[in-house]
Amino acid sequence: MQIPEVMRTVPLEYYLFFSTALFVIGVLGVLTRRNALVIFMSVELMLNAVNLLLASFSSYRQDSVGQVFVFFIMAVAAAEVTVGLAIIVMIYRNTKSIDVQLLNRLKG
Amino acid sequence: MQVSSPQDYLPIIIQFALALGFVVLSMIASHAIGPKRKAKIKDEQWECGIESVGDARAPISIKYFLVAILFVLFDVEVIFMYPWAVNFRYLGWIGFVEMVIFMGFLLTGYFYIIKKGVLNWE
Amino acid sequence: MLAISALSVFGIIVLFLGFSNNKSALMLAAMLSLLATFGLALYEWQHPEITPAVAAGMMSFDNLSILFTAVLLVTGILLLPLSERFLVDPKAQPAEYYAILLFSMVGAIMMVTFDNLIMLFLGLEILSISLYVLTGSDKRNLLANEAALKYFLMGAFATGVLLYGVAMLYGAAGSFSLSDIALYVQDNHDNLSPMLYIGLFMMLVGMLFKLSVAPFHWWTADVYTGAPNFFTAYMSTIVKTAGFAALYKILSVSFVGVYDYWFLMLAICAVLTLCIGNLTATAQQSFKRMMAYSGVSHAGYMLIAVASFSDKTPEAIFFYSLAYSIATITAFAALMRVADTKGSADFAAFYGLAKTNPFLSFALTVSMLSLAGIPLTAGFMGKLFVFMSALEQGHVALVVAAVLMSAVGVYYYLRVVIAMYMREGNGVAVTLSPRFRVVLIATTVLTILLGVVPSLVAGAL
Repeated sequence: MQIPEVMRTVPLEYYLFFSTALFVIGVLGVLTRRNALVIFMSVELMLNAVNLLLASFSSYRQDSVGQVFVFFIMAVAAAEVTVGLAIIVMIYRNTKSIDVQLLNRLKG
Repeated sequence: MQVSSPQDYLPIIIQFALALGFVVLSMIASHAIGPKRKAKIKDEQWECGIESVGDARAPISIKYFLVAILFVLFDVEVIFMYPWAVNFRYLGWIGFVEMVIFMGFLLTGYFYIIKKGVLNWE
Repeated sequence: MLAISALSVFGIIVLFLGFSNNKSALMLAAMLSLLATFGLALYEWQHPEITPAVAAGMMSFDNLSILFTAVLLVTGILLLPLSERFLVDPKAQPAEYYAILLFSMVGAIMMVTFDNLIMLFLGLEILSISLYVLTGSDKRNLLANEAALKYFLMGAFATGVLLYGVAMLYGAAGSFSLSDIALYVQDNHDNLSPMLYIGLFMMLVGMLFKLSVAPFHWWTADVYTGAPNFFTAYMSTIVKTAGFAALYKILSVSFVGVYDYWFLMLAICAVLTLCIGNLTATAQQSFKRMMAYSGVSHAGYMLIAVASFSDKTPEAIFFYSLAYSIATITAFAALMRVADTKGSADFAAFYGLAKTNPFLSFALTVSMLSLAGIPLTAGFMGKLFVFMSALEQGHVALVVAAVLMSAVGVYYYLRVVIAMYMREGNGVAVTLSPRFRVVLIATTVLTILLGVVPSLVAGAL
């Protein structure tokens, strides 16, 4: 059995609910966590929820463009990881902390 | 397509409950039955061997971080090779030229890294 | 297409020129790259037939998108000479800055020429990721660090939201192509999938986040204040132009059929943005922070143009973004000189500037009048175009709110003018280098010229 057929043995709504749940967990993580790394991981979770959603739509519609988009999201996410971790390391070297609550010098 | 009903998940739930039960039970049992000795030497992370110095969060050279980051970048770009490899015959020469351009851009990035001396360990 | 390909290659060339240790050649090379790209864009304007078939279905190069490309490039060309401090600062890395600048420009151009949501996503990310790096480019400055982290976390979060929306749209319409989505909306008008509405909503939220539209604007002031002055100027102009062009393109091509749905959302956001941006700007003591909130408020005016969605909308967005960009460049040029000389970006640093440097004060006054929308400046004509496009569709309430808020705007823009002309300074002279002088003359002349004869560019469409 081809992989898209295997994916279709689970109804589409299940994928929809599952990736929405993952996405919401990611959003909650971004909004409630204080550690920059954990926030960053939550963002990655959001992106992966979207990837899953795209892959399932793609297999249900038998249209490969959705999977191509997943590739692009993965590549861009890697670039984002690179820049994001570089920023976090830069801040850690200057302040010895990555708690976002301590970053409140800019006020107004 | 066969639509599964909630009853079909019963074995999974039983399996899950059994696994969870075993873990909880064995943890309680080992706690209740096992001997308890408390001493300074027993509470060390390692009872024997070299004495540990400082904590595990010692600063690591930035070089490791740079190499790891660069690995992530170049590693992920390989995903664009897969669709090309699968459709190699269909895409033909145009696909090949496009892939060469793509790899060329990646390679210029690699040359930039080498010229910047990021991969120099001395 | 030519412009994008050429600019990517130019970016790499500039990056490698950095190894030659000849720093002043770098700015020249970056300048030539932008000028050459501008020439290529004009060539594409006159020869639409050369757009290669490779771009089919992914990007389109109609006159409107080439016009926006031109606005982006003109902004870049006018801004570039202001970066001269990087050439003498030993801690700066001009080759990398200029290369990233050119790459981000590629992303911005992709955002105005896309025809497919994949391309929109790629353009947006190329632009955003470049800007995260540039925001944090002052590595030892804690404020810049903080701004970079905030910008990065908020930007990545907004990308996630936007992508979720795009995925939902794909689930509803089965395609990322703008015209296919339009076809789906048209064919199933009475029976649209709820996924389409959710997707459109999430995508708009993601875009509005990036465009610093209220209620998603809270990061803007911190990021704009913390980033190095030159890059603040760059992002407050380029992101707005590219983002609003992209927003208009999506909505006008794909979602005409559900206008009622997105009009309400955009109209509420526009009024909120105008109120919050203008009212908060009045309370600022720092000129730079005031400019950040002024940027938020200008997003509100442009949003009104998008929301009104009449025949005049493309012209209004085009003219407004041009006028706003030029005036902002002048303001930031003045800020850079004053902040570098006096070490402060507060209003107090501008006291008595008219005595020590009358030319700079005059240029800054013209730019402030333009941002405030006083007649005979480009900003006035821009606002006029926006209001006319809204009135054409009968959105009187929106226009009334916008006019009231621009009256508030006059108050805080004139504070700078009063500080320069009516207060006593400490006598420290602010000098201008030849590069700054040329840029300031160009932007001031353009601001007045566009205000007096707007037909120079407004008739280009």
